[in-house]
Formats: sequence, C-alpha cells, structure tokens
Amino acid sequence: MANDIRPESRGTSTNLSIFFKGHLKGQGWFRIFLGWFLLLMFIFPFYWVIVTSLNGSSQVMQYPPTFLPHWQWINYLRAWSEAPWVTYFANTIFIASTTTLLALATSLLAGFSLGVLQFKTRNLWFAAILSLLMIPQTVLLIPDYILMRDIGWLNTYWVQIVPWGASVFGIFLLRQYMLSLPRELIEAAELDGASRMKFLARVAMPMVKPALVVIGLYVFIGSWDSFLWPFIMTQSPSVQPIEVGLASFLGTNGYDWTGLSAAVVFTTLPVMLLFLVAQRQFLEGAHAFGSGLKG
Amino acid sequence: MENKFNRYSYKIDVQPSGSREKTVDNSAKIQFNKRNWDTKYDIIINRSAMQFVDIGGTLMIRHRLNKVTSLEGFVYLVPAVSIFLFFIVGPALFVLGISFFHYNILNSVSSRFTGLANYHQVFTTEAFWRSLLNTLYFIIGTVPTGTFFALFIALVLMNKFTGRGIVRVGVFAPYVTPVVATSIIWIWILNPQFGLANGILHAFRLPEVGWLQSPRWAMVGVVLYTLWHGVGFNVVIFMAGLSSISAELREAARIDGANRWQEFQKVIWPLLSPTTVFILIITTITSVQAFTQFYTMTQGGPINATTTTSYLLYQQAFLFFHTSYAAALAVILFLIIIGLTLVQTQVVRTNTGN
Repeated sequence: MANDIRPESRGTSTNLSIFFKGHLKGQGWFRIFLGWFLLLMFIFPFYWVIVTSLNGSSQVMQYPPTFLPHWQWINYLRAWSEAPWVTYFANTIFIASTTTLLALATSLLAGFSLGVLQFKTRNLWFAAILSLLMIPQTVLLIPDYILMRDIGWLNTYWVQIVPWGASVFGIFLLRQYMLSLPRELIEAAELDGASRMKFLARVAMPMVKPALVVIGLYVFIGSWDSFLWPFIMTQSPSVQPIEVGLASFLGTNGYDWTGLSAAVVFTTLPVMLLFLVAQRQFLEGAHAFGSGLKG
Repeated sequence: MENKFNRYSYKIDVQPSGSREKTVDNSAKIQFNKRNWDTKYDIIINRSAMQFVDIGGTLMIRHRLNKVTSLEGFVYLVPAVSIFLFFIVGPALFVLGISFFHYNILNSVSSRFTGLANYHQVFTTEAFWRSLLNTLYFIIGTVPTGTFFALFIALVLMNKFTGRGIVRVGVFAPYVTPVVATSIIWIWILNPQFGLANGILHAFRLPEVGWLQSPRWAMVGVVLYTLWHGVGFNVVIFMAGLSSISAELREAARIDGANRWQEFQKVIWPLLSPTTVFILIITTITSVQAFTQFYTMTQGGPINATTTTSYLLYQQAFLFFHTSYAAALAVILFLIIIGLTLVQTQVVRTNTGN
C-alpha cells in the first residue's frame, strides 16, 4: 500500500525505508488498526443510543446486552408526545440564530479593529479580551443572576441571547484573519478613498468569510448545547431551550430508558447533521485556533 | 491633479519628511512645484491621517485607512467590550464584593459588611475541603490523562492511513454534541446491571463495578465521559501544533540517527510546548467549571462523592440560597484557576527548557 510511507519520510530518508520496508508495512497495518479502533471507541456510544432507542424494554434489560435494534419506533412517538419539544426546538433555533448573528457582528467589528487598524492600545485590548477566558462561567452565575433579576431579564429570551453576543474565540479568529489581509488591499481602498466601514463591508468581509462561517458554526452549536446558563436563568418551558427540556425529561421520564434514548436521538440529530455537513469547517476552526496560538 | 486636491478646502498641516512643520491652506498647494511631490507627505486633515502620493505624475490624496487614534480604534470594540464589561467583568467584581458581605439577596440594602467571615466559613466547613478533593480528583482524571490521550491520538492521526479523515471526524464528533444528551447515553452505558461498561469488564473476566452508583467509581465514570466528550478538540489543536513543526527539523534529527522516541523527545515535544500549555490551561479551566455532566449523571452523589467545588457552588447558591457563602466559593474557584494556570505554565516551561 502507498499509505505506509509517512509523508515526512520522503527525501533523504526514503533510501532508508527500502531497508525497513517490511517494518514500515507492519506499522501501516498497525496504524490502520489503531485508527479504526479509536473511531469505534468514539462513535460507538452514538450507535448504542440508537440501538437502545429502537429496542423494547425487555431487550434493554437483557444481559449480556443486545447489539442489534428491534425497530420499536413507538419509543419515539411516546417520547415526542410527553414533552413540548416543538416549543423547545423553536426556542433553541431562535436563540441560537440570533446569538450567532449578534456574535458575528460584534466579532467582525472587534476583529477589524484589532487586526487592521493600527493604534497604540490595540495589543492591550487584545490581551485584555483574551484574558477573559480565565473567568469561568460558574463564578459569574451568582452576580449575573442578581443582575438579570434586577434588569428584569430572568426567564426571557434576552438573557439567553445578549450576554453570549460577544465571543472571545470569534474575536481571536477574526483578528488572525484580518492580520493576514494583504497590505495592497488596504492601500487600494485608501486610493479609492473608501471609508473604514465601506472597506470592512465590501473588502474585508468577503475575504474573511471562511472565518465567519467557522465562528457562526461554533457560536450556533455552543448556544444549542448550552445548559447551565438557561437552566439557572429561566423557569418556564415556553422560553427554555432544548437541552434544559431534555434535562427535565430525564428528571420526569428517567425510568423510561428507551423513550429517553429516543429523546436523546431526536434532540441531538440536528447538531449531528450540522456537524456532518460542515465538519470541514469545524475541524478548520479548531485547527486555526491551534495554529494561531503563537501568532 | 488640481481637481483631486480641490475637493478639500480644509486648512492642512503639511509635514515634508525631515523639515519642520508648516501650515498651508488649499491655495498654497498650487505653489508646490513638481520637485516637492517626489516624496510622500503625511498630512493631517481633521485629525485623520492622509498621505499625498505621486502616482504616475498625478497627485493623489490617500486616506490612511488603518492609522487611527486609540479612541477611534476603540469605537469598533465598543459592542463586544460593552457586552464583556456588563456581563463578565462587572459581575466578576460584583461577586468579589458580595463575598465580603452578608448579602441579602432579596433586599441588598440590608446587606452587612462582614470582612472575611464568608471565607472563614468556607475554610472551616468540611464540605468545602471534600469538594476541593473531588475537584482535584476530577482534574487529575481529565487534564493530564486527557492531554496524554489527545497527544497520542494526534500523533497517530498525523500519519497517513486508510480512512484517516473519517477517524479524525469521528474522534471530534463528541465534542460538538450537547453534554446533557450525550451524558445520558453514558448513564446507560455505565449502568451496573445492564450497561455496556460492565459487559466489557465481564467479557475480560474483570470484576464488575457499580459505576455511578458507587461512591468509589462514580467519579471515574464521569471522568470517562468527560474524556470521551472533550478529547477530540484537543486532538485537532495538537494536530495544528504538530503540523507547524517543520518537517526539515524532524528529518534532520532522523539523519542524525535519532529514533522515533528521540525525535519526539528532542524535537517534537519542546517545539510543541506552547500548544501543550494551551491545552493544559483550557482543559483545566473547563474541568474546574464542569457542571452539566455532574448534574445529569450523579447530582453530586452518591454520598457527595462527585460534589466538586463548582457543583457545591451551584447547590449553595441556587438550592440553599447561601449567596455570600457561594460568592466566596466563586472567588476561591477563580483563584484556583489562576494558580493552576500559572503552575502549569511554569512546569511545562522548565521541562522543555524554554
């Protein structure tokens, strides 16, 4: 197989690989085995919940466990009818989309300032914003709860959107992208006499589109997945998002394993589909975050 | 050339490079002869930087788009920074304040300043020390282990093999899933009677354990879930770090007769240290504030075996309404994170000689 030669073993060391051909070939098979074993470990729980969600209660209580589904779609109907899922879904989609738009706007402006504009305090601001990562959310629960109560935001959509409308990750990533905009682009805009906002909207924004997509995806998923914040800040299902709904469902229907598994499947399905469609962007986002560390 | 210039009827400060500042007005410009325009002139009109440029004999005025004052630069930061100030920085200071008061959550005016009394109370309750141990246990279970696994998997995935792309996506997938949903899957996997985990132990003729229902194994169960959920992100970060290490350096090491382990030890590991520090710090912060999986999987039990400091904070603040006590806990939690961050940065630096 052509695969067992490592990319870095081209060039001088290729000569050596002739001597160790058998050895390398062995490693190749070992690698494939190891890789697929890892894959199995990481995705098996997903398979498992699907199997459980399609089994009858007798198969679930079977020991040793059964690995094949018995197509009990009734579990889905039961789970779906026992909680206001449509409301939860609608709330989540609304909250996640508006949070994403807000975070994109604020990150774009801040990233433009920190990446393109040159002013004395810009590195200071950047360091200050990055240091926010050190403040854990749990620390902020109490004061934010009091704050939200005092401004009348408890149990509203506002509390779930506005505080998450600025993203340190988003600002970081956009700054990286803005820094790498070619100088000529700025000079050309200068000669055309374009204003800063015009430059941002017409020139910079199309150039950083990949970063915007990545940030949008991460903020959207982050909002969709969030639990602790809406759990503390809201009480009524009419404004609560899907994960809080699922946790309540666990509390009330926790004994019904097949129904619970079905609920897990249909509440996670949109996230999984989004991830599978945009997996390249998700991985690129993490990759860009990782490679930007030294910059 | 005149047309371009005449659009501006401001008084302009012209600063020819080297010579002293002189003020000219619009009409004065005409008096410049061609020779003067050979160099660039930075001028300031209405406080914004512009530049005269001679392009093919045509005089152009160029706005310096990216040269701004600190105030102008800040204007673009206002939306993000005001959200941060209002919901993060302000509240962080507020919680620090509360921690020195006997805070009355229903009527804040009647709060009493009590100095360090809340901290004294925290440090003298056994529940706090217990929670600190649990947090430490959880951190040890997730941070060094998670970093090790992530690096190992990243090294495996840096090699080309059939299906590498799929494996990478699969390893990353749990990271994007909601903790509530996927921790529920693991409650079932870790079920002592019907779960998969005990099934596997049984198949290997190992003693079965009570997992989430046993004070001894509950934390291990939560750690297993957390590793499964979070490791994929760190894998990708490590892969980014690894791919930025130049292939020539590694090849040079190989030519010098280094084996794979020496190549890792002497080349990869030291050069990877910024990435490693980053992952250690991020994983620590995430672990210290981990809440959701504890809420769904164990609710802090059995017999407080999984009540971490974050979980204790939640209980004290939102179940028992001991606001001041919980505020002191929050401040301590923050100090712990700062402390761990500094220690890790130091340790990795000394170990890699940077």
